[in-house]
Amino acid sequence: MIGFVAWRLLQAIPLLIGVSLIGFGLMQLAPGGPLAVYTLNPTIQVQDIERIKVIFGLDQPVYVQYVKWASGLFSGNWGYTFFGGRPVLDVILERVPATLLLMGSALSVAIVLGLSIGVLGAVKRYSVFDVLATTGALFALSFPTFWFGLMAIFVFAIQLRWLPSGGMWELGDEGNILALLEHLVLPTLVLALVITATWSRYSRSAFLEVMQQDFMRTARAKGVPPAARLLRHAFPNAAKPLIALLGVELPFLFSGALVTETIFGWPGMGRLFVDALNMKEYPVLMGMMMFTAIFVVLGNLLADIAIAAIDPRVRLR
Amino acid sequence: MSATAALPESQGGRVWARFRRHRLALAGAFVVALLMASALFAPAFAPQDPTLLDTALRFRPPFAEWAHPLGTDELGRDTLSRLLYGGRVSLTVGLVAMVTTVATGALIGITAGFLGGWIDMLLMRFVDTMLCFPQVFLLLVVAAFVPPTLLSISLIIGLSSWMEVSRIVRAEILHLKEQDFVAAARALGASRRRIMFRELLPNAAAPILVAATLKVASAVLMESYISYLGYGVQPPLASWGNMLTNAQGYFDTVPWLAILPGAAITLTVMGFNFLGDGLRDALDPRLRMDP
Amino acid sequence: MTIRISRRGILAGSATLLAAPTVRAQSINRDRIILAMTQEPVQFNPLLYVNAGTENVPEACLFDALWDVNDKGDFIPNLAVQVPSRQNGGISADGLTWTVNLKRDVKWSDGQPFTAKDVEFTYQTIMNPAVAVRSRSGFDLIKVFRVKDDHTIEMELSRPFVPFLWAWQNMHIVPQHILGREQNIQTAAFNSQPIGTGPFTLRSRTAGSHMVYERNPNYHRGPAKVRQFIHKFVPDQMAAYGQARTGEVDYFALAGVPNDRWTEARAFPDRDFLRYPSPNVQFIYFNCGKPQFSDPRVRKALTMATQMQKSIDDIYFGTWPRTLSYLQPTHWAYNSDLRDYTNDPAGAEKLLDEAGWRKGPDGIRAKDGVQLKFTMSTTAGNVARQGCQALFQQNWKAIGVEMEIRNMPASVVWGEYTTQSRFDTLLVAWDPTVGLDPDYTARCHSKMIPVKHRQGSNYVQYENAEVDRLLELGVTQTEQADRIATYKQIQAILHEEVPFAAQGGSVQGHLKRKQLQGPTPNQYVTDITWNVYDWAWA
Repeated sequence: MIGFVAWRLLQAIPLLIGVSLIGFGLMQLAPGGPLAVYTLNPTIQVQDIERIKVIFGLDQPVYVQYVKWASGLFSGNWGYTFFGGRPVLDVILERVPATLLLMGSALSVAIVLGLSIGVLGAVKRYSVFDVLATTGALFALSFPTFWFGLMAIFVFAIQLRWLPSGGMWELGDEGNILALLEHLVLPTLVLALVITATWSRYSRSAFLEVMQQDFMRTARAKGVPPAARLLRHAFPNAAKPLIALLGVELPFLFSGALVTETIFGWPGMGRLFVDALNMKEYPVLMGMMMFTAIFVVLGNLLADIAIAAIDPRVRLR
Repeated sequence: MSATAALPESQGGRVWARFRRHRLALAGAFVVALLMASALFAPAFAPQDPTLLDTALRFRPPFAEWAHPLGTDELGRDTLSRLLYGGRVSLTVGLVAMVTTVATGALIGITAGFLGGWIDMLLMRFVDTMLCFPQVFLLLVVAAFVPPTLLSISLIIGLSSWMEVSRIVRAEILHLKEQDFVAAARALGASRRRIMFRELLPNAAAPILVAATLKVASAVLMESYISYLGYGVQPPLASWGNMLTNAQGYFDTVPWLAILPGAAITLTVMGFNFLGDGLRDALDPRLRMDP
Repeated sequence: MTIRISRRGILAGSATLLAAPTVRAQSINRDRIILAMTQEPVQFNPLLYVNAGTENVPEACLFDALWDVNDKGDFIPNLAVQVPSRQNGGISADGLTWTVNLKRDVKWSDGQPFTAKDVEFTYQTIMNPAVAVRSRSGFDLIKVFRVKDDHTIEMELSRPFVPFLWAWQNMHIVPQHILGREQNIQTAAFNSQPIGTGPFTLRSRTAGSHMVYERNPNYHRGPAKVRQFIHKFVPDQMAAYGQARTGEVDYFALAGVPNDRWTEARAFPDRDFLRYPSPNVQFIYFNCGKPQFSDPRVRKALTMATQMQKSIDDIYFGTWPRTLSYLQPTHWAYNSDLRDYTNDPAGAEKLLDEAGWRKGPDGIRAKDGVQLKFTMSTTAGNVARQGCQALFQQNWKAIGVEMEIRNMPASVVWGEYTTQSRFDTLLVAWDPTVGLDPDYTARCHSKMIPVKHRQGSNYVQYENAEVDRLLELGVTQTEQADRIATYKQIQAILHEEVPFAAQGGSVQGHLKRKQLQGPTPNQYVTDITWNVYDWAWA
């Protein structure tokens, strides 16, 4: 097992290098750049833009820029942002707590809810509950998140005034946990909507498959009560694709959810990424991609370990 | 058809017979066919040119007048026409992207899961690499180089979201390949390719079909997002996704502008979903209608 | 003792909890003012600013300039004792020497005194090639900068330049004793922990969420009237509007109430609706270097065919003033004699026929093998601009001209696509180039074409010798009456030759609580917090 983990971590090194190379390359190849933002400023003339280009180091050949950035990485210097000259690591890390809170809550709620709905739907296939749950899930997937977000704000914040309509803290009262929770409710629910729908469909299908199999009929014949049948017999067998799904979704804990964060003004990573993408803030984009890579490696590693743990027949290579 | 009637002899015939008994699946197939037909024959059904704008007639509600049966949008364009023409875009994107995603993901998942070893390692690290790049980023970069035809947009969307499918399918295969029927097939001397595609793939159909349904919806919405960002379908062409985006500012005053395209997407996705259910049940005789 | 929690009890409890309205949102906290914007400032060094509108807020709260401009268009002294002019001797008779006397007893928020050395240092930083200052326009004319004593400076210009006042209005003074020690101003810690002379100090910043400013008790214009000033960022316009309605924010400025909600917003009982003109004017830019647009008659005909007023009435719900030049109609130099010749497709067709562009077999006009076919680009995702483009597309189709909409993300379309004049046409909105001075040299002087001369911002590649002459004249004239005459002539020529077709002046609708006094629309600046030190609760 230790050997397995060590082998996987070893594989992670060329992966990270590859991601950094490809990411850097793609970024440079993509049209547009950080200088465009200055054009809309009426006092700027082309010679100013040229001057700024040199200051940002963008006049140098691409490989020089890459080497400069990569060599800084190993000494802990992830570079400075173009606009504002702040250390990239600071800019990224200050958003982590907010992101973890929102994504963590949403994922937890969604997985629990999604699993429950999926299992219930599988047990009572094509019952009224199942058809309603299916319709609901597909409805949730067919409308963009911003629509649900705006509806939620309109209904709960503006009309009913039950909950605040955005932001993370009560301004001036930042230590108030209750207020923080109030602010957390709507974005979590809106975000959890899509994830719940996805999980309910996958778990319904996984459980359906498992429940038709012979060993389940054997368990029923043996007189094992339904709850135990579900938990001890069905679940471990159905879990594998779900664990793989979780492994894929784990990096979202870090990368956040752009649309939800935008609608609710939640200061998370998703917004940081898209702002950086819009302004072509290369240092931040690269920094975030490297972080995401770490989470991806971790997520898939944990998923593979979990799958092997549940099913002894699956061997870890 | 009575239960005692003789079953057709060919396997294909048996599959079709099972499918036919599944009412919801038939309904799903019907809906999908209807949507495709309406998109194909949009010029015949549409009351007017979907780009014709007349701000004097804007925000008309649905069912208010014959000339605009589903109302008009913020620039006075006919909603029904835009839904029909938009369907061409959205259905194409949804279908092509879904097929691309599912095919790529399933292929990689089955290969990695069954063959194991170095191939598994290389493929999974490739998946990890792709997962490091946010979908939006990949889309924007590639879309900038490829001329924005409907096909290229669909392919790009499809090729940026298959990673999840591959991981799920691989997990399923890991579970299946230890089972008896695989050992039996091996003992009978079946080639690896035959085992992968004739034995494992049909049994792994369940999560693949779920993924297919989900990916249709996400592809349609992703198309609207990249149009919003400037690639993909340009205004004034309609797609269900960009109709939703344009309706953003009016969700509380003119809600049907968002509800109508959203309902169209929901209908499409539900059609595919029940169709997929029927396919899975038909392909796998062990799954019966009663629990 | 065990406590039995009944299901009914839980339900009742949650219902009460959920039903209680958040009282905090409704009431006014007189201790502070909350301003909401959809964009966030990325850094707080006034010389490095990038985002107009939002970065003006830290600029106005933390720093001072030598002088400001009020809502009547008058320059008012800030760090200077008086605004230099010929009458008070601040400007020499030949217009070349400017003398500025600085206020005494002004202190930086760390206690150090403000002196002329800070002004000198600010000027040096602006001219420093290693600093990404947004613009040097005006400062590049300073030949000699003299510090006469701790509170007097003297500047000699290489040529008379009347708009020089605007250059200093726009640049806020930074502390020499802090930044002078920095190796690299671009990455100085100062940029996120600023020290200024302004009415507030920065107390805290929560990235992505808000910034809290605290009153500076020693402010030289008198302490501000509220203890705290909070700048909140709500990225979605509709959500921000919602927060202004519920009272979660006191004043919603950028990006303003959506145009179609103005009537609704005006009717709220305890809110004030402010109509905020900005110096911004929206244009269609024609790339005069492209074969379709090299003939001014074509450009005029295309403009004649558009329904400019209708686009304003329908898409912007009539909230924008129609303008026929690069200035807003309320500007002192605006030429009100210009006649609006748009919405005249018949006249357009006649003019195009005269210019030799005849309709081909496919219905599109052509001349010498070139078809009147082109693209129009702007920032993708801007629904209002897309509406305008759709309307113009329809207008032009009716006269045999084919326009294709090709929008791109902002970081693409405003990059080299614009600055290297690669576009066909653009739909773009700009302010005038030197503060609110009518000087427009950078945009239409023939020596200011980037692809040819590597300077300027004349992206449309417009060349006209008479306009050149008038532009050069306008910056030397000291009498406003003379300048008005000059710029009226310039506008008249531009109106005939149409390198850019003006559509309308942009206006935003801001929503604030009735009891909040102070915010006043000022069409001469992009800074809505231009008088933030005066804001107070009634």
